[in-house]
Amino acid sequence: MLGDMNDMTAPGTARHSAPAAERAAVSAGAAISMTGLRKHYGEVRAVDGLDLVIAPGEVVALLGPNGAGKSTTVDMLLGLTKPDNGDVRIFGQPSRDAVSNGTVGAMLQEGSLLDDATVGETVAMIASLHRKPMSVVEALRRAGVEDLASRRCTKLSGGQKQRVRFAVALVCDPDLLVLDEPTAAMDVSSRREFWRSMTEFTASGRTVLFATHYLDEAEEFADRVVLMRAGRIVADGSVAEVRSAVSGRTLRAVVPGATEADMLRLPGVSTAQLRSDRVELSCADSDAAVRALLTAYPQAHDIEIKAVGLEEAFLALTADAEEVAR
Amino acid sequence: MKTGYLALEARRALRTPRALIFTIVFPVVLFLVYKGLYGDQKIAGTNVTYTVYLMCSMAAFGSFMAAMNAGARTAVERSVGWQRQLRLTPLTSRGYLLSKAAVGMIVALPPVVLVSLVGAFSGAHLGAAGWVQVVVGVWVATLPFAVLGLLIGQLATAETMQVYTSGAMLLFSLLGGLWIPVTIFPNWLADIAKVLPSYWLADIGQSAALGNHDIGRAVEVLAIWTVVLGFAVVRRYQRDSARV
Repeated sequence: MLGDMNDMTAPGTARHSAPAAERAAVSAGAAISMTGLRKHYGEVRAVDGLDLVIAPGEVVALLGPNGAGKSTTVDMLLGLTKPDNGDVRIFGQPSRDAVSNGTVGAMLQEGSLLDDATVGETVAMIASLHRKPMSVVEALRRAGVEDLASRRCTKLSGGQKQRVRFAVALVCDPDLLVLDEPTAAMDVSSRREFWRSMTEFTASGRTVLFATHYLDEAEEFADRVVLMRAGRIVADGSVAEVRSAVSGRTLRAVVPGATEADMLRLPGVSTAQLRSDRVELSCADSDAAVRALLTAYPQAHDIEIKAVGLEEAFLALTADAEEVAR
Repeated sequence: MKTGYLALEARRALRTPRALIFTIVFPVVLFLVYKGLYGDQKIAGTNVTYTVYLMCSMAAFGSFMAAMNAGARTAVERSVGWQRQLRLTPLTSRGYLLSKAAVGMIVALPPVVLVSLVGAFSGAHLGAAGWVQVVVGVWVATLPFAVLGLLIGQLATAETMQVYTSGAMLLFSLLGGLWIPVTIFPNWLADIAKVLPSYWLADIGQSAALGNHDIGRAVEVLAIWTVVLGFAVVRRYQRDSARV
């Protein structure tokens, strides 16, 4: 596990410790460049010294548990929240400029639609404010809601609402799209539909930054994953790197006569906990572990193997990463 | 200011059924009721009937409510996060506030026109200049209420907005002499009335009815209200955007 972590943090660490000149060169052509970003709310350090450079064309997932600072980061990126310290550039421009010339479109987390307007009017209203918008019909089509144009926003399902909000974000024809938990209110089939629309957008070489809870979304759609915890980036790497780091499993069984030392000696086991005869093993390779366990202890029973939950994986990952950083 | 955006906002405001009932039907009905009760009496010391006086009161009442409600409804947009979405467009704070004030003025026009029309058909007599003063004058003088509505919209939440607007409506209608003529107020209460913008809003119409076209004092008071409230709205909006 720890070995995986080192592999995984390596590219991120390299990125952060690059010489200033090199970093400046990367930032100049970057889609997003955030340096030394900090935002405290009283005692709470929502974002605590964040550096992130995203190249044009990258699709990046921003992951992290609740309260990790994802939304605050997104708000500062878009210029909705003023950072206490640090600098934000979107394609080399300050946020406000990027927003007003339609370089960036965004779907904010909490945020709804106007109850007394139709879907078409809502998108048209935003389009009317932008300088070079795409047509309303085109935005609705890309978001997959063209058949809902004349429907009142109150008469939409949760998934439909999110897709209308996606159309609102798209209508300025942005080079960078920022999505804060876009699929939070969606059921499985709506999520699938939504990401189909997204893939169409990213296929044209545009940059996307999306914050999410769902690891599977990050796996399927992101080129790169940035993991935040307590206002900092604790891991930054390709999807494959992150995936290998979190793909542990937990093995539970009743093993009469087992000792902790014996359990740790089993292949593929990284940690072991014992409570009388009950053992709980964290395994990097649960297949090897269960084979060896049954050979050594044929009387072992009530065996249960579970994938590590996302939340647990996050906690493990972020805790380890912090130790590595120290 | 973007005309396409303004047109969509105006259309949205004009088709709100509840607001239309309140701001058009209510003043018209109230006018007809009052007219039935006092319409034929002459205002003391003049040859003018109460019909035309009441018409001006009710035109003022309908228009200020419409303008104020339109602005106050921005509280709903703020609560659902729509203002944040608008901040992700080229629309500036100034553009937003001016558009919303303009929407308030647009919805204030139908009540003035309709009450005046009903008044004209129920025996209110005025010369051409008088009618212009009543319709155009009262409408333009609604501006401070459009701004007040915006201030309420920026201070209240979607839930408390109704309380604020109802309170303001009662205060301005009752104490401003729109429901009960100020002429029958005791002196101290009449003095209070003369500080309120609603008194002067109605006065612009009523002075036309009384054949007095001097509205300098009314313009002064209403201008002061507009500037003070406008300053408060801009301060509040800037502070809100800094905090969000």
